[in-house]
Amino acid sequence: MTRVIATQLLLTLRRQRTFLALLVTLLVMTALAGLIGWISHRTIFKVYDQAVLLLAKTGSPAPPNPFDTRPTLALLSNMVIYIPLIGALMALVLGHLSLADDESSGIGRMIFSRRVSRRNYVAGKMLGATTALAAIMAASLVVSVVSLLIVNGAILSAADLGRLVLFYLLSLTYLMAFALVGMVSVLLTRRRSMALLLALGVWLVLTFAIPQFTSGLRPTASLNPITDPVSTSQTFFDVTARARPLSVSEQYKEASTRILEIGTAESVSATTLRILPTGGLVLVLAALTVLLVDRHDYSRSSAHE
Amino acid sequence: MADPAVEMRGVSHRYTSDPVLRDIDLTIEQGEVFGFLGHNGAGKTTAVNILTTLLVPSAGTARVCGYDVVADRRKVTECIGYLPSDVRLYDHMTATENLEFFAKLSGVSDPRKAAAGTLDYLGSSDLGPLRMSTFSTGMRQRIGIAQAIVHQPRVLFLDEPTSGLDPTGVRQLRETISRLNGELGMTVFMNTHLLSEVARVCSTIGVLNHGELIYKDSMAKTTERFPNEASLEDIYERMESRPA
Repeated sequence: MTRVIATQLLLTLRRQRTFLALLVTLLVMTALAGLIGWISHRTIFKVYDQAVLLLAKTGSPAPPNPFDTRPTLALLSNMVIYIPLIGALMALVLGHLSLADDESSGIGRMIFSRRVSRRNYVAGKMLGATTALAAIMAASLVVSVVSLLIVNGAILSAADLGRLVLFYLLSLTYLMAFALVGMVSVLLTRRRSMALLLALGVWLVLTFAIPQFTSGLRPTASLNPITDPVSTSQTFFDVTARARPLSVSEQYKEASTRILEIGTAESVSATTLRILPTGGLVLVLAALTVLLVDRHDYSRSSAHE
Repeated sequence: MADPAVEMRGVSHRYTSDPVLRDIDLTIEQGEVFGFLGHNGAGKTTAVNILTTLLVPSAGTARVCGYDVVADRRKVTECIGYLPSDVRLYDHMTATENLEFFAKLSGVSDPRKAAAGTLDYLGSSDLGPLRMSTFSTGMRQRIGIAQAIVHQPRVLFLDEPTSGLDPTGVRQLRETISRLNGELGMTVFMNTHLLSEVARVCSTIGVLNHGELIYKDSMAKTTERFPNEASLEDIYERMESRPA
């Protein structure tokens, strides 16, 4: 039964225009991330070459190009921003669509008048959503590899490919949290529009509000992978700095930059600790979804007497 | 002797403080076409929700095909088909895909064959490859009935099946119900407001008034009992106006 429910969800998603539009946007952004990385890389090298020429004219020795040692995957650094923005939004819509039809059109009543248990149903929905997100992440991985191949003119090393796969696995976990937010919001509200608004509200809080607060209210913090806040003796900033581990979005970005080797180096255990809040959130939301489906009154999904 | 198709004993239900169903005792034998009449809010849909295992009654016991709707939920779901009012299936899927999906959920061994066979039986094979989003109310209703019978249930529950249908749709539905009962031997439990259809299709009727079953008998005996009434509407109004 779980597989039947999951297959139906995948078939429906494949035909949803809203979902397809978000998917295409994410894939285009993946390709753009490579292109933007390549353009900035080329600009920096041009500036360096001009500086070398100027130094040669004055007879000064040219220092080595500091960007020569930049990791290959640094070209994809913008993906660390696109996933929490566009990817999370797409996952949210996916989670919403997974349950909204069954809820608003009364299909749930027909499903549960069959020999389907609530557990099978929710497991099927989660399996379908995870499969859809995994397929999207796999497509994004392929686009990333091809972009890097075109830009660098060389095949990725096994280590870099491994890092890229790890990054997309982390992203899959992160997006699953938002898919579950989409599902939970449908189960908590009676109206479809309210469910979407609630989910968007949670996305805004997790993506913008909490990172802003936990990074000492620095205006660019919600968009860029950030370094530790400037040390300060003020209590407020001390509190916000201590709350940072709770910011799932920030922890995802920081863990991603470490995996892609574009952030300050740290131990594997430290990076693993950064992943824990995302994993924890997924587990909590999954348990909440199961509980809500178990207790949901599907007999009232359309007008009753 | 075979178990009754539907049996309710002392069934009551309340959503809040006010009871929606009060101490219902009802038996429907196999092979009957039962028309469940009552005004809006009388509790008809609640009764169907209980019998289709969607709702656990606050008190009493209900059995379908001999199985308890709470204790033997799985067994009950295997022998029933259900068409809710205002039916809507998955719009992005074709009629055939929808039917195959529901056949799989019912554990049908060959869902494709079952879906094609059901569409053919209802004379709606032409709708199979079309997406539900393109369908009119009448077409949706036909596919709705198809999903309810795709696994060949013994008891079919129809909740306000004529709502939104034009006269042709109502006539087609009436013919379908008669065929399902006559040819396949299905017991049909139908909630409806359309009294003229009840008179033409049903073998037994029940009247629910503010959650209480105030009348239940065969159509033949009903017309015998109320010989001076001109139509079923008159009988219905007279029964409802009697003190509960």
